[in-house]
Amino acid sequence: MNASSEATQGSYRENGAAPSALSAQNVTKRFPGVIANLLVNFDVARGEVHTLLGENGAGKSTLASILSGLYRPDEGSVLRNGKEVRLSSPRSGLSHGIAMVHQHFRLVDRFTVAENVVLGSKGLSFVLQPKDIEAKVSEVSEKFGLPLDPRAVVGELSAGQRQRVEIVKALYHGAEVLLLDEPTALLAPPEVVKLFETVRAMTSAGKSVVFVSHKLGEVVDISDRITVMRDGKVTGSVKRGEANASRLAELMVGREITLAPRRGTSNSGDVLLSVSQVHLSHDQSQNQSNQPNQPNILSDINLRVRSGEILGIAGVSGNGQRDLAEVISGLRQPNQGAVTVCGLPTVGLGARATRQAGLAYVPEDRLGTGLAPSLSIVDNLLLTRDRGFLVDRKSALIEAQEFITKLEIKTPGPLTPTRKLSGGNAQKVLLARELFSTEDLSRVLIVCSPTRGLDVGAVESVHALLDQARKNGKAILLISEDLDEVMTLADRVLVLYRGSIVLEAKGVAEDFERVGRAMAGISA
Amino acid sequence: MIIGKARIQLEARLTAPRWLVVVVPVFSVLFALVVGGVFLLITGHPPIRTYRDLLDNGYTSFYGITDTLGLATPLICTGLAAAFAFRMNLYNIGQEGQLYLGMVGGAWAGIALAPHLNQFIAVPVVLVTGALFGAVWVLVPALLRARMGTSEIVSTLLLNYVALNLINYFIYGSRGFFRDPSTPFPQGRPISESARFDSFGTTNTYPTLIISIILAVFLFWFVRRSNYGYETSVFADSPQTARYAGMNSIWLTSSVLLFSGALAGLGGAMYVVGPAGKVDPGLLQTGLGYAGIVVAALARYNFVAVIITAVLFAGLRVGGSALQASSDPVPIAIAVVLQGAVLLFALGGEIFRRNRVVITRVAQNVKVSV
Repeated sequence: MNASSEATQGSYRENGAAPSALSAQNVTKRFPGVIANLLVNFDVARGEVHTLLGENGAGKSTLASILSGLYRPDEGSVLRNGKEVRLSSPRSGLSHGIAMVHQHFRLVDRFTVAENVVLGSKGLSFVLQPKDIEAKVSEVSEKFGLPLDPRAVVGELSAGQRQRVEIVKALYHGAEVLLLDEPTALLAPPEVVKLFETVRAMTSAGKSVVFVSHKLGEVVDISDRITVMRDGKVTGSVKRGEANASRLAELMVGREITLAPRRGTSNSGDVLLSVSQVHLSHDQSQNQSNQPNQPNILSDINLRVRSGEILGIAGVSGNGQRDLAEVISGLRQPNQGAVTVCGLPTVGLGARATRQAGLAYVPEDRLGTGLAPSLSIVDNLLLTRDRGFLVDRKSALIEAQEFITKLEIKTPGPLTPTRKLSGGNAQKVLLARELFSTEDLSRVLIVCSPTRGLDVGAVESVHALLDQARKNGKAILLISEDLDEVMTLADRVLVLYRGSIVLEAKGVAEDFERVGRAMAGISA
Repeated sequence: MIIGKARIQLEARLTAPRWLVVVVPVFSVLFALVVGGVFLLITGHPPIRTYRDLLDNGYTSFYGITDTLGLATPLICTGLAAAFAFRMNLYNIGQEGQLYLGMVGGAWAGIALAPHLNQFIAVPVVLVTGALFGAVWVLVPALLRARMGTSEIVSTLLLNYVALNLINYFIYGSRGFFRDPSTPFPQGRPISESARFDSFGTTNTYPTLIISIILAVFLFWFVRRSNYGYETSVFADSPQTARYAGMNSIWLTSSVLLFSGALAGLGGAMYVVGPAGKVDPGLLQTGLGYAGIVVAALARYNFVAVIITAVLFAGLRVGGSALQASSDPVPIAIAVVLQGAVLLFALGGEIFRRNRVVITRVAQNVKVSV
């Protein structure tokens, strides 16, 4: 923390000598059917990290988009260094020194780093001078601790490296205020540490950072100030040192939240799922991979899950998690190896027979794979049933109504299409079908990233449901890229890196760092 | 769009009120008539009287409505064929060719098999054979689509031209099985009388109309209640979900296309059983296959609504042709313009069902919703 930012922090909201670098005043933005922002006030000082914290749909991304020029506010104004500015586009935002790094990167995969960085610049010479550009890109990236090879092709970079390209691009174009939208969503823990170092380097150079996030844990470390939003309104603002996770969670959700770890209590029982020596190579897969030089999608996977146990699989997305889930659930055949569900070998039987053997599967992509988005809740409950020639919707309707009351699913009714549900409620429907259906006798559950994109409140209820299923004696394989989630729920943790299990650990806090390093491919 | 001080924008509706489903199409047809009226005025025909004649010839007179129902009979089949495939996002636009092949198959059965059968069996045999021929005509596109993902749009469309030339060859190009040997005039060989339906009285409506209507109602029920209908709905909505649930996508894709082809083929066989009684190149002029796509789109792939839109469309066709023969002949082109206008406005009206018009005053940011 440097001195200048301390000074500006004290003076915010007073029209003192140093006006805020960027501020929003009484901003209101409406979309059809929702008020995304209502009379929101927000400001960031020079050299400050100001975090916008809130659940999905709280309006924080809308506010960031207004501040960067992507949206125009219906009412209210945006001020840059105390003067009102009218930002008509992201480009006009950039001309005022404001840049936003989106959660989903906006880079051209086939261009090099340098080419991406200069993309959109005005005043480039007709014939590009690659050497000059590369030199300048290197200069910017070194100054802020963003190591990058300007000649690397963006399509071959990792998520963390691509993010660096976006940040370098913003800085190259003269950004003084950076808005980072969910910047840690795609990063492994060591990459997050690196990002935070960059953010500190930028603020000590007098730049301002607006950090948009819904992850409680990480923002406390990095932020000078945290402003919490809920339902389009600011619910509170907390300074560095005054922030603690449970207070912030309360501001986000509007009620108290349990964040404590949950562990299996009973002694684990029989082995219900076992995977041994499973190999899956690229030839068999239909999905094209970004890493053609990698021989196997999965190599030599061995694991066992017992009744009443949650086995966590940690790893950064794209290291074979989805493939492992598809192999176990019978959607894809491994080249080698065996999968046994409740004592029955299932390789080669296909998805339906594997399900009948006692396996339930909650895929990562809940709307679009686990649920048919345009079909009703009732029809989605029918999906995994034995339906016969004529479909019996009556019993499914009764079951849907039971689930809606029991799991507190917020919906106009059981005939509502699942795409109209919020992420958390859709996930409840999916979990209900896979875990609690009376027609379903499954004893093994594979669940992939069950809380991705969900609100804190919904995360809590999904975790409670999984915990309940564990207590009922199910064997659960939890595959998630959210390390916090794995460490909160799992009794044991395996780390999947480039298709191999590289570490086995107990799910306790002391192992957190070791697991995080293994996820990034750093051997312990 | 900005007019004066007002900015007019479209905003997506979150929920569409039920009355819009009726009001939007009705207004679409009215607007189409107004546009058609302008054309009539330009060409020197009094719009009101022309419309009254059209209504009379197409719908309200006894022979008008029975002609219309006769034409609607195969059109319901091609409409069902299009709706059945389209609702699964399978764009079979080969109803035209499948219809011709249904006619060929029906005529073959009517000539080769029917003389050995009594009427209760002969007519169903002709209809089923026509349906089978229609299905066979879509077999290759169906397998290519299901196994290799080849676009069924291109393959089914191109086969229409093959079918067209095939019919021309059978009647004009060769002296083969389907050509009537008893006359030098090129025409189809008549099928056995036992395989033909009599029309109702002196009208041009045949009992096949009842079969078409029963089929539409059956499909409406079948798709909602059967497991097959359920699986196709899941697959149409999200192929990934269907795969996740262990459904057989190759079977679903190919069977839907084959059923669709069979429905169009059935339409062709109905033409044989009813008015034609032979392979009749006159069917090539009607464009009933392509019209089926229009009928299905207007019905928004609802099988029961297909009955209504098919009758509506057939009436425009029948009434339009009758205008040519009236005392003040209106060119057939005008009738086609009217059909086109109805279609464009009906499909364009969808915008108003999905969105609402919002007028904002630019100066004061006051919203007035309509």
